Amino acid sequence: MAAKQGVLVAALLGLLAGTAAAQGRSVSGTVRDSLTGVGIEGARVAVQGTPLLTATDQAGQFTLAGVPAGAAMVLVRAVGYRRREIALGADATTLDVTLTRDVFKLEEVVITGQVTGVARRNLPNAVASLGSEDISIHPTVSLEHQLQGKVAGADIQTNSGAPGGGVQVRLRGVTSINATAEPLFIVDGVIMSDVAIASNANAITGAAGGSNPSLTQDALVNRIADLNPAEIESIEILKGSSAAAIYGGRAANGVVIIRTKRGLPGTTRIELTQRFGYSSLMRKIGSRRFATAAEVDAAYPNTGYGALYCSGGTCPFFDHEEELAGQRKLSIETIASITGGSDNTRYYASGTLQNEPGIIHNTGFDRESIRLNLDQHFSSKLNMQLTTNVLHTRAKRGITNNDNNGVSFYYILTGTPSFVDLRQNPDGTWPDNPFQASNPLATANRVDNKEDVWRFLASNRMQWTPLTTERSSLILSAVGGMDYFIQKNTIFSPPDLQYEPLDGLVGTSLLNNSDNLNLNLDGNAVHTFRGGGFTATSSAGVQYSRRSLDINRITSRNLIAGQSNVSAGTAVTVAENRSQIKNLGFFAQEELLLLNDRLGLTAGIRADQSSLDADPSHLSWFPKVAAFYRIEGGPNATVNEFKLRAAFGQTGNEPLYGQRFTPLNSTQNLGGLPGLVTLGTVGASDLRPERNQEIELGFDGQFLRSRLNVEASVYQKNVKDLLLTRNLPPSSGFAQEIFNGGKLRVRGVEASAAWIALQQRGVQLYLRSTFAKNFSRITELPVPTFQTGGFGSALGAFQIEQGKSATQIVGTDTLASTMTDVVLGDANPDFRMSFTGDLTYKRFTVHALVDWQQGGNVVNLTRLLQDAFGNAPDGDAGNARIGAWAVGQASVYIEPATFAKVREVAVGWEVPPSVMRSLWGGVRSASISLSARNLFWFATPYHGFDPEVSNFGNQPIARNIDVTPYPPSRSFFLTINLGM
Amino acid sequence: MPAMTRTMRFAAASLLALAACNDLDVADLNNPGLETLEQTPTPVALNTAATGLLIGLRNGVAVPNGVVTILGALGREGFNLNTNSDPRYVAELILGPLNPGSGAFGANIWAARYANIRNTVVVLHATEKVAGMSDAEKEGLRGFAKTIQALELLLVIATRDANGAVIDVDRVPTGEPGAIATKAEVYARIGTLLDEGRTHLLAAGTSFSFPLGSGFAGFDTPATFLKVNRAIRARAAVYNNEWATALTALGQSFLDTNAPLSLGAYHIFGTASGDTPNGILEGTPEIRANPFVVSSAQLRVGGAKDKRVTDKIETGESGTGSSGTTIITSDQHFKIYPTNVTPVAIIRNEELILLRAEANLGSGNLGQAVIDINFIRTNSGGLPPYAGAVTAAALLDELLYNKRYSLIWEGGHSWIDYRHYGKLTSLPRMVTGGKFFSKMPFPNNECLARTDAASQPGCAPEVGQ
Repeated sequence: MAAKQGVLVAALLGLLAGTAAAQGRSVSGTVRDSLTGVGIEGARVAVQGTPLLTATDQAGQFTLAGVPAGAAMVLVRAVGYRRREIALGADATTLDVTLTRDVFKLEEVVITGQVTGVARRNLPNAVASLGSEDISIHPTVSLEHQLQGKVAGADIQTNSGAPGGGVQVRLRGVTSINATAEPLFIVDGVIMSDVAIASNANAITGAAGGSNPSLTQDALVNRIADLNPAEIESIEILKGSSAAAIYGGRAANGVVIIRTKRGLPGTTRIELTQRFGYSSLMRKIGSRRFATAAEVDAAYPNTGYGALYCSGGTCPFFDHEEELAGQRKLSIETIASITGGSDNTRYYASGTLQNEPGIIHNTGFDRESIRLNLDQHFSSKLNMQLTTNVLHTRAKRGITNNDNNGVSFYYILTGTPSFVDLRQNPDGTWPDNPFQASNPLATANRVDNKEDVWRFLASNRMQWTPLTTERSSLILSAVGGMDYFIQKNTIFSPPDLQYEPLDGLVGTSLLNNSDNLNLNLDGNAVHTFRGGGFTATSSAGVQYSRRSLDINRITSRNLIAGQSNVSAGTAVTVAENRSQIKNLGFFAQEELLLLNDRLGLTAGIRADQSSLDADPSHLSWFPKVAAFYRIEGGPNATVNEFKLRAAFGQTGNEPLYGQRFTPLNSTQNLGGLPGLVTLGTVGASDLRPERNQEIELGFDGQFLRSRLNVEASVYQKNVKDLLLTRNLPPSSGFAQEIFNGGKLRVRGVEASAAWIALQQRGVQLYLRSTFAKNFSRITELPVPTFQTGGFGSALGAFQIEQGKSATQIVGTDTLASTMTDVVLGDANPDFRMSFTGDLTYKRFTVHALVDWQQGGNVVNLTRLLQDAFGNAPDGDAGNARIGAWAVGQASVYIEPATFAKVREVAVGWEVPPSVMRSLWGGVRSASISLSARNLFWFATPYHGFDPEVSNFGNQPIARNIDVTPYPPSRSFFLTINLGM
Repeated sequence: MPAMTRTMRFAAASLLALAACNDLDVADLNNPGLETLEQTPTPVALNTAATGLLIGLRNGVAVPNGVVTILGALGREGFNLNTNSDPRYVAELILGPLNPGSGAFGANIWAARYANIRNTVVVLHATEKVAGMSDAEKEGLRGFAKTIQALELLLVIATRDANGAVIDVDRVPTGEPGAIATKAEVYARIGTLLDEGRTHLLAAGTSFSFPLGSGFAGFDTPATFLKVNRAIRARAAVYNNEWATALTALGQSFLDTNAPLSLGAYHIFGTASGDTPNGILEGTPEIRANPFVVSSAQLRVGGAKDKRVTDKIETGESGTGSSGTTIITSDQHFKIYPTNVTPVAIIRNEELILLRAEANLGSGNLGQAVIDINFIRTNSGGLPPYAGAVTAAALLDELLYNKRYSLIWEGGHSWIDYRHYGKLTSLPRMVTGGKFFSKMPFPNNECLARTDAASQPGCAPEVGQ
């Protein structure tokens, strides 16, 4: 306490001294890096309480003229370093400063409002941010993979191992039952679509023909996967409503703000990155090994298979998994970027070519990306930031997940015994699978499931500063953003495949064309006023956005000639689904920094109207308030800084397109005469967004000479006005009404700690850890208990029930009682932790990241299928399991989802400039690294491929259902970086 | 400074312009909207909705668990014995109780009926608002919609009987449900609707503005459709013992002893995309006729069975349905619907002749009744003229016999008629514990929405007798 008061007094004295001084002196010195001792270029040196400000030169030297007499406080800042306040003696004329690297990124400006940003140290919320260095260690297809294990409170899980993406980001637990579960992605001011469009593989697999008609079983890619992680400069994640309130009616699932790299003035710099690598099957589920013909005959009675397949008494063993998913092909990624410009015109241009073959034949992912980011200053008051990005991604994803027609690769393998040979014949044909409807090796080779996306992202920000005085400034900005993509899905299943004649229409060709346009137009004003010891930032703005999506599906069957053109089929069906959404939002926010930035107060309000609401002219209000108070202990104290923070905010989650309507069915006819009839569903007359309210309390602290940084938060989210379906009395003529009602609550805690364990003599050891835990309750449910997702109680179902966890899994249980549903598990993990270590020794770096999930459950139907087909690797134990399940023990296939994965391991070496120069004079820098993703796993309690799984894609509730997905892979890459 | 203020003014104006682009109303791009049809109907949309009433009317009739099969089982005409797909075909429909929770079985023939009643309400609303149609065309729409509404209500009250039904159907669907009206009130409402419909049809000119399809061939103008309206009026009146009304209505209907007995209005089916096939065609798994129907048929001269039996039923593969130890077996197959596009009768000449007999019987004109009964016996059954006692009781039994064989598997006529005269228990129980139900309960969701559910007999399971 005494130390804190001392600093306060010193600061006040400094201010007084500054204002009281009459005459000046000149102060000069050098600013150096504390670890290397090298001078820092471009550091800003300011005398507090005066307008005096200068920047250091290339050698880190500066001179300040006219410094008032008397003691003063000098503030020194540089990008990438911790700021430092240093007392300047009354008569001092020299000042040498060392700055420590800002490992914890406390100085980084975090965008928190629509337009305003604050330094991380002044945040009233726990906001996660990642820089390009965090996401470039090991290449991944989709951006979300790069975030796994790096953000406390972000539960990021892949839906399957299929190349091309399909990852769910869940921030702070459950937010909804029926509305969307996707965060809002904003990339350089563009509201980027993360929509997931089904490939319609269902037309071949019949996956939706069973007890769950959901088309999301087609292994969907949510389209944020298009964005090239290599071009990203920073990612900020507003996890809850208290941080995201200013984004209003679409921010209930959190907001992910992404900025791409921009140009730097100065000489033209070229960066080249070349990567080589491969992927391999991470884990096999295994298959039963039959030793003798007698064993085969016992498993397949009265078939004679023992004699047929096991001649000589011993049975052959074919590793079908290896044959199917054992592919290891070269992956290549080439990235070139060029940046430079003058003070007035700066550019960043980059191009990426990426080719990652999958582990199953005929699958893989390609990306081509071209980006040009241009900054133009027309005058000191007017500037423009133009961002353009053209993307082309292609994914070939194979046929995986649930299946009712005998096509899905692994679905078939679960029922194919290991003694049958499925390999290609010497003449190029494929043997039929006598045990199942298809030979998955043939299917993989002959069926193309292609997803081809062309995407154009562009934004322009015009910023005008009509007013800048010493104390206040006014900035007006306008941002226009556009995101347009065309997604084309084609699947061709040739007529001569084993399973094709089963529906009587041989050969299937699918053509889906989808186009999506997101537009947004923002107008903002920010006024900043700096007074003695305080700063007031007022902002206000308006945002108009529009989204339209049109999906056209053509299903063509009976392609006897083998031509894939959809017009060649004799049974052709066409379906179209369109949506258009318009939003208009207004916001105003006031941020106050008081007591020399020690106290921060923020209040804001957002008002939204949306075409998805029953009344599109109705304004939904989303307020927020937040505060922090910081105690500073000085650089050498045990407690260097301690910040207490509290925040409250509300956001919304929109109704889905079409829910507000009471539609008529126009697809029926009477002997060819069209007729209109009601469809049975009514949209409530007051349908409105779900309302998500969050209170967050926490602290951030720096301890041990700022070597240890700890952030911890607790939060409670209360979601009300949930979008629910209510049964209507049938005499109304309708069956259901979609309405707002019910409440759910999520409580959670999250913490992260970062420790510079070692920082001396060129060695730095930097350790980080995150922890997150949350649990949900349905606190009010105005409709009867219902099940959502899944395949019903016998197979483990998600049940929404008042007073229970929103993600509980129930199922039949004959042990506890007679065939009643009991709680068998919960998809929500007990907690998640991660551990990251970075060791730097001179020019060597070593990096490792371990991601640990403890608890939670998965409905493992892959294992059920294996057991049901008598093909479990543990043989008779599988028969016992399926026997228990058959008499109503659903719990047999509810398995723990605990895992620990070594997500990233990398070793790197930066080539010394001397060596570089002797090899090739034109090269400024060079480095080489070897990295691996998913090097090891510990997921022993789980018997499927990967407890990170979702047969139904991204889901608000019903994730964690495993039905023969695309298997997971590990990947290795060698990366060479050259800077010129 | 002036430049700046000008620019600022421009910027402010731009922001306001942005804020003013307030047109956020986006229509449904995938389906036509109900509100649009009700509030701003076009003649095309309204006419399509009118045709839609026949799609709604067809809904749930010829399906494995629909009007024909469920009421057919309750009246012991035949069964769907496919208890593998759902045990309730026997467990509920034969053994009971009929359960409000079984929207597809014991509490069926309610939701789909009211859904189409809603369709008629929508057409009536839209008719009041439509522009570009003549008064006669509008009268045609009104007459048609009210007739269909009455026909649906008649099906509802015929299945609910003493439980009553909802007649206040023009309500906000999400508000309080309409009250349960008594049986008498429902029949009164049906009569009013049909009589109002008649008045509309009389003013509807020479043709409808919408097509009725081949199921109404010969009844697709206001003047001819009026004959269907009157036929339904007669059926409703007979169900409600209004004999004189029935006889008057029959006189205005298409009853014609010189016309084929099959003359009438039909549900039609199709296999094209968007159309509905007949789901109870011959060969539908485990649909069987009741062997009792065959064994108790009267004999023709020469000893052959009633021609209606030999025309409609044949022996084939045996089918079995079970619930626990209760097993029902039958090898008798209906051949009434040989294909999946065979029409199902809505109302036809043969029924009208029998209704005339029934009304005359009810009025005490036994001689008149005998004439019509004999007409059906000879023309439809190939039987000799009635030779039994000419008493009201004996003739009623003879009438019920003929109605059963003439109208079997066409929509539960046996059950409705035997219940009407309190004779359900004279039918065979089929199995030990087999029950007869005089009425069906309301579905659960109808009761959950009501504060008076506890006092509504329709909200309780129907145990049967």
